[in-house]
Amino acid sequence: MNGLDAVPAGKLAEFLAAREIWEIPLAASILSGALLGVLGVYVVLRRTVFVSAALTQLSTLGLVATLLVEERVHIETEHASEQLAVAILFSVAGALLLGAFRPRRLPAEAGVGAAWVVASAAVVLGVSQLVHAAHDLGGMVFGNAVAVPAGDLAVIAVVAVVCVAVHALFAKELAFVSFDPETALSLGMPVRRWDALLFLTIGLAIPVTARALGALPVFAFLTLPAAAALAGGARFRVAFAIAGVIGVLSAAAGYVLSWVWEIPTGATMVAIAALFVGAGALVRRRGR
Amino acid sequence: MTAYVSPLVALERAAIGYGGRALLEGVDLAVAPGAFLALVGPNGGGKTTVIRSLLGALPLVGGHLVRPRPVRVGYVPQREHVDPVWPFTAGEVALMGRIPGLGPWRRPGAADRDAVRRAMATVGVEHLADAPYGELSGGQRQRTLIARALAAEPELLVLDEPTNGMDPAAELATMDLLEELHRGGGLAIVMVSHRLEAVANYARALAFVDKDQRLFRVGLLEAMLRPEALGALYGRPVAVREVDGRRVVYPVNGRAGEHGRRA
Repeated sequence: MNGLDAVPAGKLAEFLAAREIWEIPLAASILSGALLGVLGVYVVLRRTVFVSAALTQLSTLGLVATLLVEERVHIETEHASEQLAVAILFSVAGALLLGAFRPRRLPAEAGVGAAWVVASAAVVLGVSQLVHAAHDLGGMVFGNAVAVPAGDLAVIAVVAVVCVAVHALFAKELAFVSFDPETALSLGMPVRRWDALLFLTIGLAIPVTARALGALPVFAFLTLPAAAALAGGARFRVAFAIAGVIGVLSAAAGYVLSWVWEIPTGATMVAIAALFVGAGALVRRRGR
Repeated sequence: MTAYVSPLVALERAAIGYGGRALLEGVDLAVAPGAFLALVGPNGGGKTTVIRSLLGALPLVGGHLVRPRPVRVGYVPQREHVDPVWPFTAGEVALMGRIPGLGPWRRPGAADRDAVRRAMATVGVEHLADAPYGELSGGQRQRTLIARALAAEPELLVLDEPTNGMDPAAELATMDLLEELHRGGGLAIVMVSHRLEAVANYARALAFVDKDQRLFRVGLLEAMLRPEALGALYGRPVAVREVDGRRVVYPVNGRAGEHGRRA
């Protein structure tokens, strides 16, 4: 490694030459960054940032639970689709419970905190029982985005199309029930159903992207790009576009720089997304 | 002989509450076209619960909610319940009033935008259409939320504590606006307030609500401002006087029913 102060030309050339290695992981990272950036606008504005943290943990728990079962029943080959299905099940169930229900007797944060800490502990306990797959934990939690199968990229693409379609078709309902649920309910709108649909998209996006990127970058992409767009003073509709672009730029730049500087990919993506938040705040300040 | 006017919406022998537990029972409340009803009572007394039940947003524990025909409703929540962090313009907020009437597959069109423009002009905030909602003053936000409710072209306007946290001038301005809407368009208004004085000069009927006393009493303003009725609500004597043409309500020393006076 030649330090972080410059991008070594040799490393960059090496990166460009190894296109068949990074093609799919980079595409998966970019697509994930865009999707999570867009969804993050709701996550941030609804003040449910820690719901997304809990969901990423629940999704990881689903993955660990499947690995455990596979080991215990002596399944020799890994079944990626089953692992993903269970991760989706955990995440969607968590999304519907934590996101769509507004408890009256307990602060919502209590449920979210409990889900996060219990899921985190269960992941650690589950991994401690794994014999063969324990080494994958680092990748699951902090992300590596180095080896992404083409099938995973296809799944991310399908989920992205579904999520964007839902948000485009029902933009006004999702915005209204999120902004002012009390009025929406008083005017006869099925607020719980719209909330459930919104959190279904978030609950779907998290496990499929976490498989490629890891839990930490997923949490970051659901938070930082939207925070950057909103800190920069973007209006509601524009914030989706800006957050999506920031997600793409952070994912792409993070991937490339982590390669040439030989540093962890997920953390690099997060660091770059964080720079955009600072830039957003500066833009707002200069605009005043 | 008085002609029977079918109510827009009514609660009949209703038991009102949450999770199957009734906070208030035997609630009879009918809102006729052109009514101006204020629900008054202490904070946390169950006023908002009553209007949620009246709008069908909260299932009744018992009794009946009667809606003889579909009614266009405008709703104004407590403005503290609307998070100003959302980066909407005042015009975008007002446009939301049209969403329930559109259904999920239609997008707002020219007619919807016209209705919003008219509603914003009615409450005097048309010049703020492009201003960020979060950067408006409390009074401007309140007017924007009223404009949103009016954008639905309602027959019934329901407001939850519309003057909460306002200074006296802003409170008067908001109540004058509601009076104007009521007189001008024959709009039925149901509003909640914990301040009797704020509504005593405007409403035509009052309902006293206090779940702790299991109290729900409704009647015409004159009857409800009598010392016995006020004493039942506040548990102490309350006097009503007229000063410069306006009713002033204030507590006095003694036991309920002893000193209540009416102008």
